[in-house]
Amino acid sequence: MQTIPSTTRLATADPEQAASAPGTAPVIVVKDLSFRYPGADRDTLRNVDLTIERGDFVAVVGGNGSAKTTLCKTFNGLVPHYWNGDFAGHVHVGGQDTWDSTVAELSSRVGYVYQDFQNQLVRPTVRDEIAFGPLNFGHEDYRERTEEALAQLGIAHLRDSFVWQLSGGQAHLVALAAVLALRPEVIVVDEPVAELDPARAREIYLRLRDLNENHGITVITIEHHAEFVAEFASSVVLMADGAPVWHLPVQQAMDRHQDLQAHGIPAPDAVSLTAAVGEEPVALDVSSAAAMLRPYVHERSTEVPVARAEPAPAAEVVASLRGVHHGYRSVSGGLCPVLVDLDLDLHSGERIALVGTNGAGKTTLMKLLTGLAVPRAGTLTVDGIDTRSRSAARLADHVAYLYQHPQRMFLKDTVRADVALFPVGRRLPDAQQLVDEVVERVGLTSLADRDGRALSGGQQRRATIAIGLAMRPSLLLLDEPTSSLDVRSRHDVTSMLDSLAETVRCAVVATHDMELVATWATRVIVLDQGRVLADVSPRELFSTPEVTAQARLVPPQAARIARELDLEPLALTAAELLTRLRTSASSTARPARSPSEDR
Amino acid sequence: MARKTHDVLSVEWVRLELLRTAYSTRGGLFSRMDPRMVLAWYVLLALAPWFTHNLTVLIGMFLLGVISVALARVGPLVLGLFVFGVGADVIGLFVASFLFGGDLTTLIALAELNLKLGAVSMASMAAFVSLDPEKLSDALLSLRAPELLAFGVSYGYRMLPILVDEYVTVFEGQRLRHAPPPTRGLLGWRVILTWCVLAVTAFYPIMLNTAKNVRTTVEALETRGFTYGTNNPAGRALRLAYLKVTALDVAVLAASALAVVGAYWLGAQFPLHR
Repeated sequence: MQTIPSTTRLATADPEQAASAPGTAPVIVVKDLSFRYPGADRDTLRNVDLTIERGDFVAVVGGNGSAKTTLCKTFNGLVPHYWNGDFAGHVHVGGQDTWDSTVAELSSRVGYVYQDFQNQLVRPTVRDEIAFGPLNFGHEDYRERTEEALAQLGIAHLRDSFVWQLSGGQAHLVALAAVLALRPEVIVVDEPVAELDPARAREIYLRLRDLNENHGITVITIEHHAEFVAEFASSVVLMADGAPVWHLPVQQAMDRHQDLQAHGIPAPDAVSLTAAVGEEPVALDVSSAAAMLRPYVHERSTEVPVARAEPAPAAEVVASLRGVHHGYRSVSGGLCPVLVDLDLDLHSGERIALVGTNGAGKTTLMKLLTGLAVPRAGTLTVDGIDTRSRSAARLADHVAYLYQHPQRMFLKDTVRADVALFPVGRRLPDAQQLVDEVVERVGLTSLADRDGRALSGGQQRRATIAIGLAMRPSLLLLDEPTSSLDVRSRHDVTSMLDSLAETVRCAVVATHDMELVATWATRVIVLDQGRVLADVSPRELFSTPEVTAQARLVPPQAARIARELDLEPLALTAAELLTRLRTSASSTARPARSPSEDR
Repeated sequence: MARKTHDVLSVEWVRLELLRTAYSTRGGLFSRMDPRMVLAWYVLLALAPWFTHNLTVLIGMFLLGVISVALARVGPLVLGLFVFGVGADVIGLFVASFLFGGDLTTLIALAELNLKLGAVSMASMAAFVSLDPEKLSDALLSLRAPELLAFGVSYGYRMLPILVDEYVTVFEGQRLRHAPPPTRGLLGWRVILTWCVLAVTAFYPIMLNTAKNVRTTVEALETRGFTYGTNNPAGRALRLAYLKVTALDVAVLAASALAVVGAYWLGAQFPLHR
């Protein structure tokens, strides 16, 4: 095949530069690899040279379309054996040339956990799922392998669960266990953070670190979140345009945060802050960042915090809950209480973040607010209407609910038809004009005639927001609007949330995304086991470690650094924290932008 | 009309009942048996009624079906649908025959077919409510069914709850975003019609979403040796090694066979033909 001369590579990957364990052969060696998908008009991978040492913890980073996933699929032979295409060059895994091997053979060397890992689970029960691989390969010790994998990940108690009963984090661990049961030398994990909340993602990373350090497994993760990269990886591969830009030990990689920034990977707050004060090498985690920044703090407490946007006490009540109890039936027939004696008033002008662990009752509360379900006890009114007195379809004139999975909201075959469904169906006089306006506002005019499912993740979110806006609700409910988005699309969505206040009276966001809470919300309601644990401003929430610990919330990195520095009041974002530091060159050098500053 | 939370006859209840039935969470006699023996038992009870026109035998078989359903702890949804189906069938046929000048004897004439269908249906309910996906798929595998069929059965079970969930979400979205009919109409026919249309059109997004999701599944199957396994019998043998016929299996099968023979014997003693 014709190989395109690589002009975009800034530096050649040099095996010697990578963190290497001396004396052992590298586990993966890629040489002059180019690959083109069938029917594509350009190469996806272009002249890739890469060496991964045995026992390394590698993070593969890069913007959308930089072929991170395709690269990783060459390690387990899916490329070229499953995805046939034009393949040139060599990939050696554990000394074996993947070209002469098969996917089945390679799967006992390289395990792969997909980004949409839920679709990777193929059997009904956890035990059966994990034993599936070993059984297919006829390993007589499949029982021991299953137990071993369960134990390695600490999920032995899930052994007899059905796959559909698992939470997202548990499902990810099961997918990982199923891969571990084949005792691979290398594990590839594709964007673990995308579908999980940060606290769960952290657990996954801690498990991966354990596998890496104590079981000698080489771990490769594809990752957008530089915070996890800085904390857990030992070397970083930056991909751009189908080839590695460089492969460096993590410290050197983070020192080159401008490179990361240029390829759409914002540096974590620890890195951008320490870089801003001119420290070199930069800090990789919260405690070392705090230690480095301590000498630069010039105002430990200040009288001029960012203005608190608290609602005027006389603000109108949009929704109110009085003594609300709710629960659902389980498969075994018992009644599980989800919300216990809830009293809340949601006012106009408020931006409310609803936080808490999975199962704390966030989604149930939202379902009650939409009228899809009515409380078992207590009353709930929206715009003064008792939800028991109206059907959900009629309440939809007042409340709009945007689901966590955008593709479940695409009922029609074009985005425009989906947006128009509500206003046209209700024969609103200005329906067409409204639809055009809303589609324009979310910036999807050029894509409005495409099927929602064909759009990228960020565009899908924006389409669902358009659907919600076209309903012109008083109360807008959003379930996890920023989950599984890469950094750039996340930025689009959050800036859209900022402008919601102009159209809806009150917006409620159920989220695990603490950066969003810190920058967007004016009020945070923390749910824990169906009760309100705290009802505070974001600043108060992140200043109260007892509450964040009980609700298992991880504050944004900048806020954690600020806490270690005992700043009063607490700084929530890197930008805010920076104003409290004495930067030697603060007038000339701006820090690398962090995601929180983008908003 | 004030709305309240219903624990039965709601969408949520149907969902839970489907899961309880599919995953045989209620236990029962047959769920403790070897799945192959359950299938054998089912074949026995499903075939036996077809070899006679004798109503005595058929009543016996029908009663045997009732006992099996009780032993298998069949849930209210499936049982309710069955009773409703048989009842509607009998009443419908009776009304039809009455309109065309028949009388009660026509009903008795129709009893034979209904008894047969009832007996077979109850045996099916008892058997399949008692087989969880893993057991059913292993039984099929051990009876030399194609690997792909056995896998398909278990994968279907794995997907069922997820598809039901997704269906409920899409259907809720339909309800919220489609305009409700302006008036209810006679006996609420407009509401019922709207619901039926929404219930059917809710399948469209689900099919498209599923088509997109299974791409990962197919790749994952490849990496976990599914194709390799179908060409190598070692895995199959390992998987099925746990299947074992026990005293319980033999006892249940023998008792059922005896009961069938007994029914035929009674029928020979007291034949009842229409």
